[in-house]
Amino acid sequence: MTEYVVEAKGLGKTFGDFHALKHVDFKMPIGRIIGVIGANGAGKTTLLNAVLGLTTYEGDLKVLGHNPATERDALMKDVCFIADIATLPKWMKVSEVLDFVEEVHPRFDRKKAMTFLDRTNVPQNRKVRALSKGMTVQLHLAVVMSIEAKLLVLDEPTLGLDIIFRKQFYQSLLEEYFDEERTIVITTHQVEEIENILTDVMFIKDGEIVLESEMEELTQQFIEVMVDKGKEDEAMALKPIKNGVSFGKSTCVYKNVDRETLAKLGETRRLGLADIFVATMTGEGQ
Amino acid sequence: MNIYKALVKREILEGKNGFIRVPLILSAIALAFLIFSAIGFGNVIYIDGMEREGIENVGDAVSILQEKEPEGLPLAVTMMYWFTTSLPWVALPFVIFFSLLGSLYEERRDRSILFWKSMPIADWQEVLIKLFVPIFIAPLIFLGVIIAAQLAVAIFMTIVVLFQGGPALEMLPLGYMITTWFAFLGHYLLGMLWMLPFLAWLLLVSAFSGRMPFLWAILPPGILVAIEGIFFKSASIAKWISIHLGGWRIMLEDKLGQVNPDTPREVFDIIVSGSLAASLSVTFSSIYFWTGLVIAAAFVYAAIEMRKRAI
Repeated sequence: MTEYVVEAKGLGKTFGDFHALKHVDFKMPIGRIIGVIGANGAGKTTLLNAVLGLTTYEGDLKVLGHNPATERDALMKDVCFIADIATLPKWMKVSEVLDFVEEVHPRFDRKKAMTFLDRTNVPQNRKVRALSKGMTVQLHLAVVMSIEAKLLVLDEPTLGLDIIFRKQFYQSLLEEYFDEERTIVITTHQVEEIENILTDVMFIKDGEIVLESEMEELTQQFIEVMVDKGKEDEAMALKPIKNGVSFGKSTCVYKNVDRETLAKLGETRRLGLADIFVATMTGEGQ
Repeated sequence: MNIYKALVKREILEGKNGFIRVPLILSAIALAFLIFSAIGFGNVIYIDGMEREGIENVGDAVSILQEKEPEGLPLAVTMMYWFTTSLPWVALPFVIFFSLLGSLYEERRDRSILFWKSMPIADWQEVLIKLFVPIFIAPLIFLGVIIAAQLAVAIFMTIVVLFQGGPALEMLPLGYMITTWFAFLGHYLLGMLWMLPFLAWLLLVSAFSGRMPFLWAILPPGILVAIEGIFFKSASIAKWISIHLGGWRIMLEDKLGQVNPDTPREVFDIIVSGSLAASLSVTFSSIYFWTGLVIAAAFVYAAIEMRKRAI
């Protein structure tokens, strides 16, 4: 039987007349890396805030058996999150941040944090205020990765950071943190950077979950074909969800069409997550 | 692992300027004044309203005092130490005011609330610590600094008088000094309990105000007082406020009678024993006091609820 880290039934949130979350149902299984993907204002952050006990909500929500709205403090023993960059207290020294977490968090391993920090240029006696954006994130990540948590939630964790750092960030997350006992939930706009580490995706649009799928399954559904000259009519007959022209050849995107059939039309390739997202959001993929 | 210790330490670190630097700097200033004035002590001094010639230094003055008031001298010395070192205490109300007003406001403004909320600490723990530290820990630090300053003054004066040939040991009335430290703390804590509704109001303001917490802290009570005055031609809110801000001590007169202390001993007794006992009995039998506590509890509860929803 699959174990779930998060189980939501009829999860809703309104701000005045605005329905940020429209009573959605979803489950997040253990041991996965789940990408929550949606446009700005789609409801991603609201959904994650509800899961983290940072906001009130309607409906049923269980995170690791806890009710986040009333048991945030207990929940935080097993859940870690980076909700935004630069939330570390700026007036604290790096060593004071570590002291604090060591005192209040039962699952924090300071030695581990030091190992992570030793690999960076983050100076221990400097105040967080004096660190660069990248160093602040490195520090926060070192803290979070040294906490033995079951669920890690990252909401736009690398916003505004350079590409080299972003690559390293996800690489160390995958290699040094993730295992089958843990679940990571990530939202980001830079979909391309995380698509190869995700095991599952969830697309959100206007407060509703429009798609929930395993990554493998999803990418198999969408195939793009560079149609050979002369086979255009044949290609159109198979009802592509999207078509266009590139490098002088027409290209067609299909959903749930057998790969062997498509291979006869021309060169095929899997669609990237960003393209799948766009196709789904614009209604073409439904 | 000790959550409370870590939270208290964090609050002190965050408010380091107000909680530690302010009393240290003000004490240093007070000490500097005292040392300069003692060194430059002139040869004319007024004692008992009578001009006496021939006093060349502190040592002479203390010797004469010892002759005239052998019992009163150590008490007068104790009070003189308080007088010369209590400068930090003037700043304490400001430190408390601004610490409370910023306590739940700054963490929302700089978004660090998202980091604090990622730790396994309940909102009520955070809020109560943010109330507790400025009200109880900050005064302890201030008192500690004042005590250190008093000891420094006492040692300095002892050495000065010793070299000037006066009764040096009279300058070290340690027993009295220690008694006043505790008495002072008692008076102070009682005063804080009376002021709790306002302190809790500041905490609540810091929890909800989007900006300009200072105005939020001052204006609503002011407007309430004005509305009552204009429309009801009464001043019961103003009276309630002034009683809590210190006016309750007037009620002590019923207990103690009109007090006009003459000698150092009388002043000392009133401060240390008499008025503290009377204060306690006035306090616990006052309906004002208890309504204040209930209102304070409501404000703290509201602040905790606001903190739960804040991001």
